[in-house]
Amino acid sequence: MKKAISLKVNGMERSAEVEPRLTLLELVREQFGLTGAKLGCDIQVCGACTVLLDGKPVSACSFLAIDADGREVLTIEGLSDKDKLHPLQEAFMEFGALQCGYCTSGFILTAKALLDEFAHPSEQQIKDYLAGNFCRCGCYQEILQAVKEVSSKA
Amino acid sequence: MELTEIGKSYRRLDYRTKVTGRAQYLADMSVPGMCYGKVLRSPYAHARIRKIDASKALKAPGVVAVLTRDDILHDEGIEPYYGPVFKDQTIVAVEKVRHVGDPVAAVAALTADAAEAALNLIEVDYEELPAVLDVGEALKENAALVHDSVKLPSSGFADLAEIKPVEGTNVCTHFKLNRGDIQKGFAEADRIFEDTFTLPATQHSFLETHACIASVEPGGRITVWATTQNPFVVRTQLANIFKVPVSRVRVIVPYLGGGYGGKVYPKVEPITVALAQKAGRPVRVVLAREEVFYTITKHAAVIRMKTGVKNDGTLVARECEIHLDTGAYAEIGPRVAKKSGYTAAGPYKIPNLKIDSYSVYTNKPPAGAFRGFGVSQSAWAVESQMDIIAAALKIDPLELRKKNGYNEGDKFVTEETLRAVGLKQCLDEVAKSIGWGSGETRRQGDKEKDNIRRGKGLACMIKATITPSVSCAVVKLNEDASLSIYAGTVEMGQGSETVLAQIAGKELGISLQSIQVLGVDTDVVPYDLTTSSSRSTFHMGKAVQLAAQDIQRQLKQIAAAEYGVPQDKISFADGKIRLPETQLDYAEVMFKRFGMQGGTLVGEGQVKTSTKDEYGEKSTSAFWFLAAGAAEVEVDLDTGKFKLLKYATAVDVGKALNPLGCRQQLAGAAITGIGQAMFEEIAYDNGQLINPNLVDYVLPSLGDMPAVIDPICVEVPDRNGPFGAKGIGESALIPVAPAIANAIYDAAGVRIKDLPIKAEKIFLALQDRPI
Amino acid sequence: MKNFDYLEPATVAEACALLKERGGEAKVFAGGSHVTILMKQGLYQPTALVNIKKIAELKGIRFDPAEGLSIGALVTHRELETSALVKEKFPVLCEAEREVANIRVRNMGTVGGNLASGEPLTDLSQIFIALDGKLEILGPNGRRAIGVEDLFVDFYTTSLAEDEILTRVVLPPLPAQSGIDYIRFSSSSVVDKPCAGVAVRLTLDQKAVQVARVVLGCVGPTPARARRAEASLTGKPISPESAAAAGKIASQECSPTDDLRGSAHYKRAIVGTLVKRAALKAYERAQESKK
Repeated sequence: MKKAISLKVNGMERSAEVEPRLTLLELVREQFGLTGAKLGCDIQVCGACTVLLDGKPVSACSFLAIDADGREVLTIEGLSDKDKLHPLQEAFMEFGALQCGYCTSGFILTAKALLDEFAHPSEQQIKDYLAGNFCRCGCYQEILQAVKEVSSKA
Repeated sequence: MELTEIGKSYRRLDYRTKVTGRAQYLADMSVPGMCYGKVLRSPYAHARIRKIDASKALKAPGVVAVLTRDDILHDEGIEPYYGPVFKDQTIVAVEKVRHVGDPVAAVAALTADAAEAALNLIEVDYEELPAVLDVGEALKENAALVHDSVKLPSSGFADLAEIKPVEGTNVCTHFKLNRGDIQKGFAEADRIFEDTFTLPATQHSFLETHACIASVEPGGRITVWATTQNPFVVRTQLANIFKVPVSRVRVIVPYLGGGYGGKVYPKVEPITVALAQKAGRPVRVVLAREEVFYTITKHAAVIRMKTGVKNDGTLVARECEIHLDTGAYAEIGPRVAKKSGYTAAGPYKIPNLKIDSYSVYTNKPPAGAFRGFGVSQSAWAVESQMDIIAAALKIDPLELRKKNGYNEGDKFVTEETLRAVGLKQCLDEVAKSIGWGSGETRRQGDKEKDNIRRGKGLACMIKATITPSVSCAVVKLNEDASLSIYAGTVEMGQGSETVLAQIAGKELGISLQSIQVLGVDTDVVPYDLTTSSSRSTFHMGKAVQLAAQDIQRQLKQIAAAEYGVPQDKISFADGKIRLPETQLDYAEVMFKRFGMQGGTLVGEGQVKTSTKDEYGEKSTSAFWFLAAGAAEVEVDLDTGKFKLLKYATAVDVGKALNPLGCRQQLAGAAITGIGQAMFEEIAYDNGQLINPNLVDYVLPSLGDMPAVIDPICVEVPDRNGPFGAKGIGESALIPVAPAIANAIYDAAGVRIKDLPIKAEKIFLALQDRPI
Repeated sequence: MKNFDYLEPATVAEACALLKERGGEAKVFAGGSHVTILMKQGLYQPTALVNIKKIAELKGIRFDPAEGLSIGALVTHRELETSALVKEKFPVLCEAEREVANIRVRNMGTVGGNLASGEPLTDLSQIFIALDGKLEILGPNGRRAIGVEDLFVDFYTTSLAEDEILTRVVLPPLPAQSGIDYIRFSSSSVVDKPCAGVAVRLTLDQKAVQVARVVLGCVGPTPARARRAEASLTGKPISPESAAAAGKIASQECSPTDDLRGSAHYKRAIVGTLVKRAALKAYERAQESKK
């Protein structure tokens, strides 16, 4: 039995008819064509599927789309405004904080949530917040540098 | 517009599309009419398939096609057996299944859910067979055979020509290397050390799983979008399997979400094509994370190493047996065993050698290429034992390595001359970075907690690149003097796209903004053997450089003809053509040539390496990788748990074309090495995988990182590499595990010989010999 | 996941009624961290999920001087971690929550869901037990309260009936001169599940221990108090020797199994070390709390 839901995605009102079992990841990728969030592990540990729900990072792979009714979702596509990139996106490029790019949207969104919550997080706070996103290419050091840079300029 | 430089850390060309989420990966793609494929896999490690009945699945809602062995065996248009070295794999299992997870059937349906549901309706009648679950069992007399016989290809890789399976056994291949006189060598030794080292199977664990979209047109034309590192090899294999000329197969590769060797050679492409052919419409298969564990792993190994040394630390003899668990299918295991074998002497001059390196079939998922390719395994043994020797002889581990280590011009174990050998520079750099020999932090801890100890360790290595090999490149100079580069190198995060553009840009004096590196499409780009073996900068980079030079040659000819100037009076500088009286932009010359702003110049470059170098000497490797790593650890003696305080890695890169890119690769490889050293292992229980997921298979997180990972590029230019560059992808990974084990020995006095270096192993070792 | 009905009651009573109606074929659904994994693996195939996230009664953290800290079942790990009130009353909870899973799971996963899952490799239950916490449970037959330790029956099995819902955790105010420490030990990555998790709470009378709680988690089918270890600490001051001795006793009071995170032998040894360290820390804190 499908339910009609409406939610805000990247600032735009969207609606969809969803079966309860549809995940938020499936909704944004397959129905809304926002493929920046990726499927990596399907059990909430890798962070590749991270989206911001009302500003908080969640594992979209394990979040029911139906629970997103009436809420706000931010995906990586919503972070930049045409050519104007978010400072985190600029910093990631500047510091070489990505290689294959698969984990990148998850990391950037998580870092955004961190900096929205704490204007000047300590190094330990940054690590604690980002520890739940895996990067198999091994960009951790550069990612930390990029986030520290943005937080120091904020 | 800025001229392109070498040795400058340009921002990578793929970055903007990746940070905005616009970059396309396979699972983001779909094609019109596409349906979804799922694979049915064996629940048994070893079993005969008595019967398969797919009739119920065929009737299930949404199902378009079901593929079983009947389709593979009874289709004249399909050659069932394939594989990179031996033809021991089939698209789906034929008479028996050989590991848990072995594909048995596949379903294509209108939705992924419908395909998944239909899998459960396929009835398979298995007759379980005794299984051999590790190398020990596989090698026993009268052990069950994983393969009763193995088909050999009609033509194969030149470097593996002499390697054949040992009939009637589970020995897939046996590589031998003998040098000098081993008995005499041991007789000359003052001390003999014999140790056995082990390491488990592990996962590449790229975040992007294997995926493929295949479409077979009514005329038989096959198009495949694939997560593959070597599209041309996949193309060849598909052409062989589906019995069409190579020109009828098209392989397109988008950005990969990581490869690390786990996406070389056919993986899900054959089954996807077969399903698409049966379905009569395109099919997409995307593996679930668990399925990746059944698809490919890194070789587990048992390495027995016996080394004879003089009291002054000179290595005189080494006898070594390496047993690599290659799983149920050979894959590229034979080459891994060979590489493991001839690096069993490490980067050291040892005159007497007896090396036997085996790849052994077992009833486990297949093992294959993994970043480091057999050298992680041999180096784990070599570099751990070096410190055992150093401790016994009371020689500084750094000095022991430098004493025996290769210098420029030394002979490798194959008697070939080594050139561009930055080994000692790498050792010195990491030693400096880690503060080697500075007494303050060794064996001391915070005095309030007397259970904490600190220590330092280092390790080094040598590795080869796949030789012989081929890379071809084409560059197109467009009418506005912008450049298009056609290269089959797959961008999987290593930054190849950017480096190739840098090379061409530098060669031609064109700015990076004007250069476009095209996507990989085997219909369009010329042949490249593979994006692996850290070979792309050297081989494809050189090919691109040659192609750029070809353009220059043509421009010179045109300028000479159009302006009546002798060719020897024409030169190039800063992106312009210099004539005696004037200088011209390329676009001007093009306009002159074509009479309008239109037209194309096509430049070509071919790089071919062979088993003989330009001196006529044997060449096992077109260039050599040398690297070192050093670790500082802090061990909690009560729990055995340790922290990595600092890790330094130095790699001889020849020439750092993009220094930030190099450092990224070094630090990145080191981090995977840290995971493999400290946490990672695939666990089995009676052939069943216990941890085929990323919760129980533990990856290194940002929270586990040392405060500093220091990536150091050493530059000893290679005479044949573009601007002296060599390769960098794998080197930094290899020394990590032994460096850490050596640091733990320094800190806590215990020697761990089995990976991963878990806290419990240190704890138990300490219980046996308390501090 | 297979399809299911998604039911969204507005009150706990309604939720219990729905559960009863579905006769064991429906599951309570809160943050979804636990349930979605089981559903994806095909281990749970409920015909309905009862979404309790809209039930106001289950939300919120409150403190009452008599009753103590009340944590609604729907309070997320992250809310607990960042609550100023919790930091003031039971900072050990904030410290522990910092290390649980990852930020995403902490944003969605709930305290109630964590307890109701019966997940053995977890942290909160040890701390709650050490604090003599109580649980309130509502079912079709009314409300009941149990000690947290009594919730757990076996691996992934609690004493909750199929139509019962955990509504809140109540932590009585810590008596004066109390100190608590929780140590979570991972034998591998910082983000891995714990190998062992030990909570020690001591309430003193002058320098001597009047009440000791030594709670061992992850080393048996359920979190449990190590009562003999507690007895060994009670009635006297703590010294490094007595703490170590209690650790040894505690290591024999658990029944760990061999698994990926450690052998039983190793886990026992770790328990011994953690109990010793936590006891000393808790003692230090208890003495500090006088000032």
